[in-house]
Amino acid sequence: MSEKVLRISRRDFIKLAAASAAAAGVYYWPGSHPFAARAAGEKLRMWWWGEQEAPGLEKWVKDSVAIFEKETGVTIEVTLQDTTTVISEFQTASAAGNAPDIQFLWNGIYHMESVWLGYLEPLNGLISDELLKEADATVLSIYQGKQYRLGWYACSLIWLYNKEMFDKAGLNADQPPTTWEGLLDACDKLKSKGFTPIVGGLKDGPWGEWYMGHALGPNLDTPAEALKLFIGELDWREPRYYEHWTKLEQLWKAGYMNEDMNSIDLYPGMDYFGAGKGAMTAIVVPTLGKQAGMLGAEKVGLMVFPAGGKGKMNNKPIRDLQGLGISSQSQHKEIAAKFLESLHTPERVQAIWTDSKALPTDASWDGNKIEDPLFREAWKNWVANPDSVPYISNLMPVMFWTDAMFVNAQKIVAGEYNGEQAGENAQAVATKWREQNPDLLEKYQIWANDLAL
Amino acid sequence: MLRTKPWTPYLYLAPVSLLMLFVFGYPLAAIFDFSMRRIRGASGPFIGLENYRQIFKDDVFQQAILHNAQLLLAVPILVLVGIVLAVLLYERVAGWRVYRTILFAPFIIAIPVIGVVFSNMLSLNGAVNELLRAIGLGFLALDWLGSAQMALWSVMAIIIWHEMGFGVVLFLARLLSLNEEIQEAARIDGAGWWQRLWYVTIPQLKDVTEFYAVVSVITMLAWVFPFVYVMTRGGPGNATQVMELYIFNFAFRNSLPGIASAVAVILFLITLALMIPLFQLRARAEMEGIE
Repeated sequence: MSEKVLRISRRDFIKLAAASAAAAGVYYWPGSHPFAARAAGEKLRMWWWGEQEAPGLEKWVKDSVAIFEKETGVTIEVTLQDTTTVISEFQTASAAGNAPDIQFLWNGIYHMESVWLGYLEPLNGLISDELLKEADATVLSIYQGKQYRLGWYACSLIWLYNKEMFDKAGLNADQPPTTWEGLLDACDKLKSKGFTPIVGGLKDGPWGEWYMGHALGPNLDTPAEALKLFIGELDWREPRYYEHWTKLEQLWKAGYMNEDMNSIDLYPGMDYFGAGKGAMTAIVVPTLGKQAGMLGAEKVGLMVFPAGGKGKMNNKPIRDLQGLGISSQSQHKEIAAKFLESLHTPERVQAIWTDSKALPTDASWDGNKIEDPLFREAWKNWVANPDSVPYISNLMPVMFWTDAMFVNAQKIVAGEYNGEQAGENAQAVATKWREQNPDLLEKYQIWANDLAL
Repeated sequence: MLRTKPWTPYLYLAPVSLLMLFVFGYPLAAIFDFSMRRIRGASGPFIGLENYRQIFKDDVFQQAILHNAQLLLAVPILVLVGIVLAVLLYERVAGWRVYRTILFAPFIIAIPVIGVVFSNMLSLNGAVNELLRAIGLGFLALDWLGSAQMALWSVMAIIIWHEMGFGVVLFLARLLSLNEEIQEAARIDGAGWWQRLWYVTIPQLKDVTEFYAVVSVITMLAWVFPFVYVMTRGGPGNATQVMELYIFNFAFRNSLPGIASAVAVILFLITLALMIPLFQLRARAEMEGIE
C-alpha cells in the first residue's frame, strides 16, 4: 500500500468517522436493521444452566441478552434452571406446548431424547453451516445428519494429579502414568508415603458416571459400540465391557481411594484434591480454576486417565461441551437463531473466557493466548485437540444411569458387588430398559449407525 | 312453609361438587389412564397392564416396597415417643413451654435443610463420628449414610426426629383439654404415675393416637421422598430406594410417566388399603361408645 493512500487529512478523517458512526447507528438502531425491523417487539424465553459449574456465566448471559436486545428491540426473558430439572422441565413444558424458545442442552442422550420426542428443531438451515461447524457441538449432537445444538463452552473431562505428592512419592511429576500398571504402581508409592492416591465422592452419582466415561471408553473402538451395549447387540457380561468396574474394585480393595467415598458427594470429594488431601481426582474443565486456586496452580498436573484399555479410544482425551438449542415449538425460530449467532461474535466468545474462565469451544478462538499454562494446556489437549474422543457416558439411557452405573459404583465401593456382578446388573438393566422403551430402541439403533465412525 | 323440590339441595351442592370432582377426581382418573399407556410427552398408546407387569418384575420396585414397609416401623416409635414426651411436658416441669418449642422446632425446619445438615453430620468423617472418636467411642463411628446396612435406619431416625414434634404438640394439646378432675381423682385413689398414664391418660388420647398413627403411616408411605432424595438419592446401591423416588425417577428422569403413574396407583391403593381398616375400627369404637 502506497504512502499516498494512507495519507488522510484531519478533515477527511473526521468526515469518515462521522459517516461510519452514522452508518453504525443506522445499522444498530432498533427497527433500522432489516432483521431488527421484523423482530423488534417480539419476546423470547431462554432457559439455561451453567452458572453452577462456571461462576460468571450469568453475567455473560445477561450481557449477551442486553446487547442483543439493544441491537434488535427483541426482549429475552432468561431463567437459570436448577441442575435436577434441566431436562424434565423442558420436556414437561414441551409436552404442555409451552416450551422456551431457547434451551440449554447437555450433550448426547441428555438432549437426544428431546430430539426423538420432536421437541427440538434442527439448526441446519436456521444457522449457517459455517457457524454450525465453527461452534461444533460434537458428533453426539447429530442425528440423521441434522445438528440440534450449538456448542457453547467446554466441559471436557480431565484427571488432575498433585505434582508435589508425586515428587515426594518418588514419581516423575512431569510424566504421569499412561498405563494401568503405571497407575497401580503410582497409587502404591503414593499410599506408602501416606497420601490417598485417588479422591472422589460417589453419593450423588456423577463421579461414578465420570469414572465410567474415563474407564469404559478406552475399551471401545467407537461411541457406537457403547450404544450397541444398550440396544442388546453387545453384552455387558463380556469381560471387556465390565472390566472398568473390576478395575474400580481393584482400586478400592487396594485402599487407593478415600474411605468415605460412598458417604460424600461429587464436589466435596473433588475438593479433597484442592485441599491437598488426595493425589489424583477427576474433574470437568470449568472446575479446573477452583482446584488450581485451592491447591496452587504450580502443583497441579493434567492427565488422561490411564485405564489401560484395548480399544481404539484408549489414552485419548475426552472432549465434551455444553450447548444451546431451539425448541420446535418456538414461534420465533429465526430470531432465536439470530440470538444464538450473536453469542458467537469474537467479542462474545472472548467474554466467555473473561467472565467465567470457562473455555469457549469455537474453533476460531485462539486458546494459545491464555496466559495461565494450566488452562492453556487444558484447551490445547482437551478442547482443540482433533485426536480427542466423545464422552461415552453421554450415551447411556437415564435408567442405566440410575439403576446400573449409580448402583454398580456404590455397591462395588460398599463391597457388595465385584466387577462381574456389576456387569450382570448392567445387562439386566439394559434388558429392562429395552423392554420398557421399545419405541426408543429403534431411535437408538439409528443413532448407533450415525455414530459408527 | 316453603316447599322445595327434592333435587333442589343437590343443585346447591352441584357447583362445589363439580369443583371437587375436577380438583380431586380428574387427576386420579388421569393417573389411572396414564398407568395403562406408554406416555411420551402428553399422551401415548394404550398398552393395558404392561406397565404394571414391568413394575412387578422389577427388583428395584420390590426393594422400594420393602423399604417403605421397613419405614412403617417408625410409626409405633413416633406414637410412643410422642405420648411419653407430651405426658412429661403435661407434668409442667419447670420451663416446659421452652421444651415444647424445642421439641416442635425440627418439624418446622425445611426438609432439604435437614437433609443437607444431616448428610454432612453423618458422613464417615462428619461431626457425629468425629465426636464419637473424640470421646473414645470410635468403634461406634459408622458410615451412617454410606453403608447399605445403616443407611435406611439412619434415614428413619432423621424422619422420626423431624416428625416427632408434631406428635408431641398434638398429644399435649389433647392432654391440656382433658378434665383434670379425673387425674386428680385417680391421684386421690392412690394411682401412681405409671398407673395414671396407662389407665387414665392413654385411653383418653385414643382419638388423637389414631389420627396421628394414620398421618404417620401416610408419611412413611408417601412423604419420605425429600429426606431420601437429599440425603442418599436412594443409595448406596438401592439401599434407601422408596416408592416415591421410584416414581420420581420414572416420571422425571426416565421419561416414562406411564410407569410412574402405575406405581402411583399402587401406592394409592396400598395407602387406601391401610386406611380403610383403621377408619372402620374407629367407626366401630364410636358405635360401641354410643351403645
